[in-house]
Amino acid sequence: MIKEFAKKARAGSIDLVEHTRKAIESAQKINEEYKYITELGDAISRAQELQKSAKEGKAKGKLFGVLITAKDAICVQNLESTASSAILKGYKPLYNATVIERCLEEGAIILGKTVQDEFGFGGFCTNVGKGYSKPKNPNDKKRVCGGSSGGAAGITKKADFAHIALAESTGGSIANPASFCGVVGLTPTYGRVSRHGLISYANSLDKIGAMAKTVEDAALLLEIISGADPKDSTSASTPVPEYSEIPGTVQGIKIGVLESAVDERCDNSVRKAVLCAISKLEELGARRINIELPLNSKYALAAYYILALSEASTNLAKFCGIRYGAYDTLNGTYNDYFSRVRSDNFGDEAKRRILLGTFARMAGFRDAFYTQAAKIRTQLIKEYKEAFKKVDVIITPSMPTIAPTFEHVKKLTPLQSYLMDELTCPPNLAGLPHISIPCAEHEGLPIGLQIIGDHFCENKIIQVAKTWSQISK
Amino acid sequence: MKITPELVRSVAQNARLKLTSEEVSKYSKDLADILKHFEVLSEADTKSTEPSFHPIRIINVAREDEAGECIAREEALSLAKHRTQTHFKGPKTQ
Amino acid sequence: MEPDIKIGLEIHVQLNTKTKLFCSCPTSASEPNTAICPICLGHPGSKPVMNSKALEYAAKLALALGCKLAPTVTFSRKTYFYPDLPKNFQITQHELPLGRDGKIALDDKSIVGITRVHLEEDPGALIHKGNHVLIDYNRSGIPLCEIVTTPSINSPSCAREFLKKLNTIISYLDIFDPNNGVIKADANVSIKEKGFVRVEIKNITGFKEIERALTYEIERQKESEVIQETRGWSAERGITYPMRKKETEADYGYIVEPDLPVFTIAEEWIQAIQSEIPELAQERAARWEAELGIDKSDAKIIASNKRVANLFEEVAKTTDPILAARWIRREVLRVLNDKGKDIKETAFDAQHLTELINLLRDKKITNRIGQKITEKLAEKAFSPKAYVEENKLTMVGDEDELESLCKQIIQDNPKAVSDYKSGEKKSLQFLIGQVMRATKGRANAQLTRALLEKLLEN
Repeated sequence: MIKEFAKKARAGSIDLVEHTRKAIESAQKINEEYKYITELGDAISRAQELQKSAKEGKAKGKLFGVLITAKDAICVQNLESTASSAILKGYKPLYNATVIERCLEEGAIILGKTVQDEFGFGGFCTNVGKGYSKPKNPNDKKRVCGGSSGGAAGITKKADFAHIALAESTGGSIANPASFCGVVGLTPTYGRVSRHGLISYANSLDKIGAMAKTVEDAALLLEIISGADPKDSTSASTPVPEYSEIPGTVQGIKIGVLESAVDERCDNSVRKAVLCAISKLEELGARRINIELPLNSKYALAAYYILALSEASTNLAKFCGIRYGAYDTLNGTYNDYFSRVRSDNFGDEAKRRILLGTFARMAGFRDAFYTQAAKIRTQLIKEYKEAFKKVDVIITPSMPTIAPTFEHVKKLTPLQSYLMDELTCPPNLAGLPHISIPCAEHEGLPIGLQIIGDHFCENKIIQVAKTWSQISK
Repeated sequence: MKITPELVRSVAQNARLKLTSEEVSKYSKDLADILKHFEVLSEADTKSTEPSFHPIRIINVAREDEAGECIAREEALSLAKHRTQTHFKGPKTQ
Repeated sequence: MEPDIKIGLEIHVQLNTKTKLFCSCPTSASEPNTAICPICLGHPGSKPVMNSKALEYAAKLALALGCKLAPTVTFSRKTYFYPDLPKNFQITQHELPLGRDGKIALDDKSIVGITRVHLEEDPGALIHKGNHVLIDYNRSGIPLCEIVTTPSINSPSCAREFLKKLNTIISYLDIFDPNNGVIKADANVSIKEKGFVRVEIKNITGFKEIERALTYEIERQKESEVIQETRGWSAERGITYPMRKKETEADYGYIVEPDLPVFTIAEEWIQAIQSEIPELAQERAARWEAELGIDKSDAKIIASNKRVANLFEEVAKTTDPILAARWIRREVLRVLNDKGKDIKETAFDAQHLTELINLLRDKKITNRIGQKITEKLAEKAFSPKAYVEENKLTMVGDEDELESLCKQIIQDNPKAVSDYKSGEKKSLQFLIGQVMRATKGRANAQLTRALLEKLLEN
């Protein structure tokens, strides 16, 4: 438990330098085999500095001495931050993301950056940028980690030291790898956490969240990073509760079970595990209400992709070899130079998504795709809001399957890969908080339970998740 | 709607991507496949629906007109490969 | 009746906020790339935050132009690739501009419609160096207000007048600093004899230039085949020239800027801004004409400069307004023009100018002396009355005294007298000048002339 570790560390009863040294060694060893980390920070000097303050009795902070990893898209000052793309190779931000600043204020140590699908473009963490290695599932190296926060989930599972991960979800990039790797993945409401310093995938969908071994640890990180930030106009000023103190109870909680999410489209093992978990929660006093979200089931995935890629294709326009990152010999006209740098450095999926996004907002197509998707989004949010009048949380599996093998993923067409996101896209498009917690295993591989709450009702999903983690112990 | 290689080429040009002919045919096929699936969007009746450009309503967030800190020129330039002491260097425009 | 010429303008005005549109970098910097930060450089992870002052200034201009304000304001990304554009998209307004449907009336009573007024960010600046460019991002993110007119301007001189009128409004609103920004215009122009085929001319700076460029372009269109195209304006060569097709066919792929919120325009906010808009030049001049009987042309010229107009209003309160208007228009503006200065850079103030005009009104001093004092008042403030007394500059208006002086002058200048008598009427001017010289400019000019004429008749 992170809280206890930080408490001991503050009291000086843990040798932080030694703990950090061991953590780095361990991380490096894990990395050789599993490829979760792209860059290591100078954790030792930070540990020494903290140790000194502990000796002087000045130790403070909820994350005192705790090792934090950041998804590669989260900017850390002077530490290469590329969103795992070759086009940002060598880019060392001049500033820290707000979430990093908040962790540092609480005494955290930045261990390093975790690998992801290039710019978040994937659900298996197999679309890492050119020159990056694909991370392997911590439970079975033949299988994928899930994505796009794959490195974050892998290191969270494997770490044998006090560690929490900063992850990020645009369309399911926290729940998906959390489910495949078997850790807790907490995605907050859109705007709950500042995006300042997050290399954008899709600005109206990106949400920084937490990954940890326990619900309480993930909740602790969320309570630290949440809150309004003058550097991100879309961050919300809604008060931040002490998420880590929320007790686990489901007494009187109305659980909406999305029937279409537990039908024949999902694997048998997954369906059984999720339904079993729901009955256990019912035994503890929750009320089960079956619901349907027909509009979301039909439209969310397509609307999500159109909006996300329209935004993404504009976000990626800035990468052109002038101000930072990858470059080429400076010759030819600007169109020629930009095209060269971009074509040489973006990966296959990044190019595909840039093309899709550029298409969806082109004159003549924009109304039918981009604008239509934004209108449908209104209807989908409304459908959720109606549902939340009847239920407190909605439960679905996080992913319809267990983690697939690399071999299997290779055979999927791009569309088939996109369709794997059908359970995570809807809450993400609507900006709803959701948590994925391991609820069972099948053939030694974890199955994730996804609990979705209404906007800014993180407390309810944490409360239900915590109950489950207590009974599943 | 038909996704032709010509259309993909023109989209790519608009996005400043130089595609090989193999890429053009691969992406034409992928885009056709994906966009065909996404055409489901046209089935939704949105005549009286306003678009949502954010999942939650965010209004009127602005700052005061007060000067803050800039970054040092050397620092900003140090991130760029092509530069002089004072300027970024970029490709010519004609 | 359909006009022979249709001109529409798209004007960019740099708003004089202290900081940029989306970041807190200053809007003025002398050294290249010194007013930059991760936001205006488009560094990954940086997010724009709206400058509330810029929004206010743009709204003020929109209201002053009689526009309706949009109930909600959103910003869009206009994507195009160019080395001066750090994000390769410009944050601007697309579908619903901040203001629309405004107008400016020209002197001939014709109305120039204003389609839209919106807010956007400026790109950086390029220096072309043959095989590469040098880029300075100091300008990147500076707030610009774009004003688009309908093609309802019918001549180059009307285009010039429109720009002047717009400039006057902007200066009245104090939202533009002429020392730290320029007003740039793009013009579209088409003529009837060529079937109104539209040609766009980019990047014209200044009133004189707009008239020159349009005059040239209209002549060119009359004499050659016209195709729909974008042309540049070379002030040095005085010609328009075809530009590459660069952006004419580009697809900007507009989407809503998702890093910015929606801005709702509340009625109270509009009222608050409206209340800060002063009476503008045109209304002011009309009021002076009606209430004070000021000459139309004097009123218009004085009103076109807000600070001069304010000075006039102060002065006119306690002295003869007609005389004050005439004096300010002729003399004060002449002094400003000679010195090449704005009134705020001089020492002119209402109290002392009033005193001066009172001296003139009461015929205590001559115009000549008045002119000299005006010049001095531009340099430093002092009491003209005390100065006149101290330096004995009171007008010589006593008829007897002046007559004897005139006689003396006639006697001393026989050549001029004989020239006058043989029909060289110009010689009278010389003799008046001699009287002035003898009195150090203090002689009543009208009386001197009358006396000399009378004496020479005899």
